[in-house]
Amino acid sequence: MKTLILGFDSFDPAVFEEMAGKNQLPNFEKFGKNGGYSRLEICSPPQTEVSWTSIATGADPGGHGIFDFVHRDPATYIPYVSILPMRKSAVGEQFVPPYTAKTFFEEAAELGYPATALWWPAMFPARPALPVNTLPGLGTPDIRGQLGVGTLLSSEDEVLKKTGVVKLISAGKDRFTASLLGPQTQSRSGPQTISLPISLDVVDEKTARLTIDKQQIELQLGEWSDIVELRFKAGMLFNIHAITRFIATSLRGVVRVYVLPLQIHPLHSTWHYASSTSFSKKLWKDVGAYLTLGWPQDTTGLEDGCISDEQFLALCESIFNRRIQILYYLMNDFREGVLASIFDDLDRVQHMFFHDRMDVVQAWYRRLDRFVADVSARVEAWSGKYRFLLMSDHGFGEFRNKVHINRWLLENDYLSLANGAGDLSGVDWSGTRAYAVGLNSLYLNVAGREGQGIVQADELEGLLTSIKTKLLDWKDPHGKPIIQKVRLKHETYSGPYTRFGPDLVVGYAPGYRASAETGLGKIPALSLEPNTDHWGADHCMDSDVVPGVIFANRDLRDFGTISFRDIPFLAIGKHLDQSNIKPPSQAAGQGQKDIEERLKGLGYL
Amino acid sequence: MMMKMLAEGGLPIVTDQLRTADEDNPNGYFEVEAVKQMSAGNTAWLQDAGGKVVKVISALLEYLPQEYSYRIIFMERAIKEILASQRKMLARRNEESKVDDAEMEDQFRKHLSVIKPWLVRQPNMEVIYVSYNSMVNDPAILCKMVIDFLGLPLEYERMLAVPNEKLYRNRKITT
Repeated sequence: MKTLILGFDSFDPAVFEEMAGKNQLPNFEKFGKNGGYSRLEICSPPQTEVSWTSIATGADPGGHGIFDFVHRDPATYIPYVSILPMRKSAVGEQFVPPYTAKTFFEEAAELGYPATALWWPAMFPARPALPVNTLPGLGTPDIRGQLGVGTLLSSEDEVLKKTGVVKLISAGKDRFTASLLGPQTQSRSGPQTISLPISLDVVDEKTARLTIDKQQIELQLGEWSDIVELRFKAGMLFNIHAITRFIATSLRGVVRVYVLPLQIHPLHSTWHYASSTSFSKKLWKDVGAYLTLGWPQDTTGLEDGCISDEQFLALCESIFNRRIQILYYLMNDFREGVLASIFDDLDRVQHMFFHDRMDVVQAWYRRLDRFVADVSARVEAWSGKYRFLLMSDHGFGEFRNKVHINRWLLENDYLSLANGAGDLSGVDWSGTRAYAVGLNSLYLNVAGREGQGIVQADELEGLLTSIKTKLLDWKDPHGKPIIQKVRLKHETYSGPYTRFGPDLVVGYAPGYRASAETGLGKIPALSLEPNTDHWGADHCMDSDVVPGVIFANRDLRDFGTISFRDIPFLAIGKHLDQSNIKPPSQAAGQGQKDIEERLKGLGYL
Repeated sequence: MMMKMLAEGGLPIVTDQLRTADEDNPNGYFEVEAVKQMSAGNTAWLQDAGGKVVKVISALLEYLPQEYSYRIIFMERAIKEILASQRKMLARRNEESKVDDAEMEDQFRKHLSVIKPWLVRQPNMEVIYVSYNSMVNDPAILCKMVIDFLGLPLEYERMLAVPNEKLYRNRKITT
């Protein structure tokens, strides 16, 4: 077995097909000429962590348990990030793997082959007991154990939406000082944030010298520093190590330096960052430093205006290039097994530019095409049989309107407020039959399941039908549907975790997506709101609206519809779950009888 | 035709010779009755079929036991020709078809649209699709493809001699 997989997060079939039609993506197109291209049916909902996990396991969320970026505790209704679950233990709170369903990487390893997954979502924390090499992707936290927000050092008082701002204090002519806030530790007086002192010397309007943790870093205006290693002193003999990058964005007048979220240092992580530890260390030492945050392309910094479009794209480019170097390093010694690497820069670029700068987006598709040409040339030099797969977890679309679905539930008498609070804390649960938490998830307030549930078992079916029907009837002011499809849990999912999933999976029509507020269970004043954010495009719609792609060095045409369930088979030649492959006699329907009778008449049966 | 070709090529055939050559199939049937009982679970006879050729109609492929691996040469033919041939065979067997050709054609197409996606997903089955019509018209390339697919040192020239214009007697009906 020898399989190479390249995952291009959010690679959209419609964009590909349009550009390929103009001969702009010749290296992807080569696969199609041999029957090796297909749209990929993805699981519902079309969210990154859900979809890549379904691809890795061949199972829908009912089989692996990740249903949405945000889940809720039914007892308290409190939302939490599904891909970063924690469990209390004797040594405090610990991250635990977000799922345990078997992946094709594990299956390959059990068959005796080396297996490597690079930047694959929902693989943090690593599971050292498994013989799979991993560098985790989406879901890997920052050094504070959160999904990661950067810091703006500014000589002015500023307040930003999400990014923390630290004031640069003047300490003489062109000299400033500040404290960079680091991780929290527990002390006798409670949680304490450790910080590192910073001094900044503005050399001229294009150069500055930043001093931190006994290091001097030369900053050129508008250019990212290399990755900087930092130590936060957490005790007499204990340091917490972090990595980050700095960028000076203004050195004349207002002085601004932006700091990427403080990220796990692979050489000194107190958590199980990667598997094996020696694997991540070897890559760091042999290839070079790499960012570790699950979402290292800092869209928040861009949305908050801390960095410019060009600086954001330069960051994406540098992340992409380092991942390519790591992949090529591993390909040099790749003799057998499975080697997979996810490249998610396109996803971030599309979130930021798909709606208003398709030139930037298309440039990334062309960039990927050149990369594919380079990888293909290396792969074609291999001898013997091998599998080469390229795929995406979903496509992409414009996100023109935010849907505050809890407000809609309120307006339609499914949800009741006890007070004016704009979130689930203000809900009158005794009068609430349904609520939304997550980007595609809608739950009924079920008696015996929810902490203050009121919906009885005999009411469930009627209520589900009622909500589904009304949602599908919901139109925007132009008469266009807001919801493309509403899927019932038990019709959509199969597997041991199905009962934990949302009762209804809301699939948004093109142009619509649940608001970020809905994700956290909030209830803003209107049910619909135009989206004017920099984050102007997305994929958390209906899975039919944003299919993925698959390219392969084999003919895919006989597959009919290819879905995420087929990926383990395509990757390692083995299904992890065959339950969805119906034998022809069961799939053919009424005509099967006619054929059987004919064949009997001919003496073949 | 393919069974005869493989036999000529040197492969052992699993056949009980119960169904003998007739007007419909002058080269013989190369069949084994036990195949028909696979759907009832009778597959023990396959224990002795390793390395041999068995003729199985596509509707019965799903009953091949999973513990063995198979290389499947899936013969395809213009459906109208198949139907014409079947009509003749039914007439000779004094059987009547309750379904007209148009409906039957539709059913066969649906069957193919289901069987192919199923086959391609079977880890223990490798499949090559061979057009009967192409094999008759231009056998040299396809014959080599079949030998390559099987990966066995077969008698190419002897195989090539089999495609026989006389067998292609139904062609005019469709054209």
